[in-house]
Amino acid sequence: MRKIELLSPAGDLERLKVTLLYGADAVYIGGQSYSLRANANNFNLDEIKEGCSFAHKLGKKVHLTLNIVFHNEDMSDVEDYIKKVVECGIDAFIVSDPFIISYIKNNFPNVEVHLSTQNSTSNYEAIKFFEKEGIDRVVLARELSKKEIKEIIDKVNCDIEVFIHGAMCTCFSGRCALSNYVTNRDANRGGCAQVCRFSFENKGEKDFTMALKDMNMAEYIPDLIEIGVRSLKVEGRMRSLYYLATVIGTYREIIDRYYDNSLDEDVMKILQERLDRVANRETSTHYFMKEANWTDQYYTGRSEVSNQDYLGQVIEYKNNLVKFYERNYFEVGDKVELFTPSGEHINFVVEELFDEDKNEVDVARHPDNIYYLKLDSDIEIPEYSMIKIVERRNGND
Amino acid sequence: MKLLIEVSDKSNLFLDKTDGIILPIDKYSVESICTFSLDEIKDIVNKTKKEVFIKINKNIMNDDINDLKKILIELDNLNIKGIFFYDLALLQLKKELNLKMDLVWNQTHMVNNYKTCNYYYSKGVKYALLGKEITLDEIIEIIKKSDIISMVEVVSHPSVAFSKRKLLTNYYINLNKEVKKDLIVTEKMTDTNYHLIEDDNGTTFYLDIITNGTSIIKSLYEAGCKYIIFREYGIDDFEELIDDTEKYINGKCIDDSYVEKYKKLGDSTNFFFKKTIYKVKK
Repeated sequence: MRKIELLSPAGDLERLKVTLLYGADAVYIGGQSYSLRANANNFNLDEIKEGCSFAHKLGKKVHLTLNIVFHNEDMSDVEDYIKKVVECGIDAFIVSDPFIISYIKNNFPNVEVHLSTQNSTSNYEAIKFFEKEGIDRVVLARELSKKEIKEIIDKVNCDIEVFIHGAMCTCFSGRCALSNYVTNRDANRGGCAQVCRFSFENKGEKDFTMALKDMNMAEYIPDLIEIGVRSLKVEGRMRSLYYLATVIGTYREIIDRYYDNSLDEDVMKILQERLDRVANRETSTHYFMKEANWTDQYYTGRSEVSNQDYLGQVIEYKNNLVKFYERNYFEVGDKVELFTPSGEHINFVVEELFDEDKNEVDVARHPDNIYYLKLDSDIEIPEYSMIKIVERRNGND
Repeated sequence: MKLLIEVSDKSNLFLDKTDGIILPIDKYSVESICTFSLDEIKDIVNKTKKEVFIKINKNIMNDDINDLKKILIELDNLNIKGIFFYDLALLQLKKELNLKMDLVWNQTHMVNNYKTCNYYYSKGVKYALLGKEITLDEIIEIIKKSDIISMVEVVSHPSVAFSKRKLLTNYYINLNKEVKKDLIVTEKMTDTNYHLIEDDNGTTFYLDIITNGTSIIKSLYEAGCKYIIFREYGIDDFEELIDDTEKYINGKCIDDSYVEKYKKLGDSTNFFFKKTIYKVKK
């Protein structure tokens, strides 16, 4: 059985490296043009080349989003850009425009083309059309049930990719121009202002809102594998390193445990809690097992909560000292967890803490500063391991 | 240049006043105020010599396909001018079923460049309804550089978004109040109203301001645009408007009093003279 692909977002080169180290089989990135996250840092050509090289050394892949809805002016340089990106070693393009699909398949037949979810593809007949155009994979609309996804897989030949985790659009992707009308920012060229998270006045009544809960399909990963989905996609090219490390590391463990038959209810509960801990909104499985309804939305406007679990990002571990960048306040006596890209989790109480000059301190209170903490461990603790809070010394977490 | 209309009330189709009509079909049309049954469509087509286009623009689901095939076969036996489509399943089904009907590429916010228009033309699509979020200059460039026959929505309350979700039902259930399927809400930052209408397919958002493109008709005419579209919903004195517009077009768009008269529709020209932005930082 071909193992399912775990596909991670990567908003920059560091996120690309971290998510691959944490277990993604492939990443999707945006270039500095033609991507639907125009305001992410995105990758220049040198970074794309370096990212591809890094991924390929690990036997992994890089997909590039080229999924804006093109205007006339966007077409003038895109063919030259595609050529340059292919030369960087990109493995697949994620595209919504059929002219671009056709151009890539005609000129670079060895590079895969994936149909973006921007097309909101929701049936097998539409996929048959794109198969004739040479499409290698279709990222399905997020409005589909398990039964519908399975029927599509049964009736088409190309690979099928689905979203499993992250923020959701209220409207069909590609079928919303609210951002254009409210803010003049072009939703379909990467400028979406997320107007579906605004609250609207309804005179005499509570404000009208339509924001959706995030998607979390962790409990249905076995179902998705069994119906033949090829790739599981996580949303969030602009998310933090800590979030991505946690989410990708957790899904890696779910997938691997499914294949080695060690994914029982108790383990799943722990893994689900790990995902819940980094979530900044409530989650739902939306259309997968039922018609989406009122329980899948928020009714209070924006509902994100900030998360201060993330304490530090490891730079190196040497001589029983963990060197790290501080991210959130913590202090001696706090119970913390250090987790590594290979999936090791080490729980311990912080006993000794030092500043960058190795002066002993009681608290780490300056984000981005370098600190050290004492830890005796036989486990390898590489760069990009993460430290998070388990319990504050005063009893709060 | 021909004028097509989409009505909001079945009681008056204005077929004696206009060059043609767009008929949204029950169950498979979204972003439309009123839809027509297949029997109603047959009746209309059989009684008129005007151009009749059918709108099938929902996102097609697997369970729709068998029924949709039957409808398409029936429509193909009628004297219709073409089918407005959103979902690429329509393009596939046309080929599978060997249908002779012409198609109109109508992917609401996506019909924005001439190369993709030419791509669809190469796949047998004869017409394209251009996006409403592009400028007049972009529209004219598409008309001039594309082989596809372009259509431009010129006067309407534009539909700006569509969700599969029952957003009004959900809202009222949460409030524990009787569900209404029609609601006008105000976006606070811009103090702009949006009209939300829910049906079995989902929820459509309309901008509650008329896009008044009467002043660009002359430019479209001169650029060789073949079709303009007016949508009746929310437009007062629609019959007079289409009557005057037909006269204006037949008079080669030189009667400036027409443009002056229809300033009364308001000064919103939507994106005809306003480019969207998408990069908000350097």
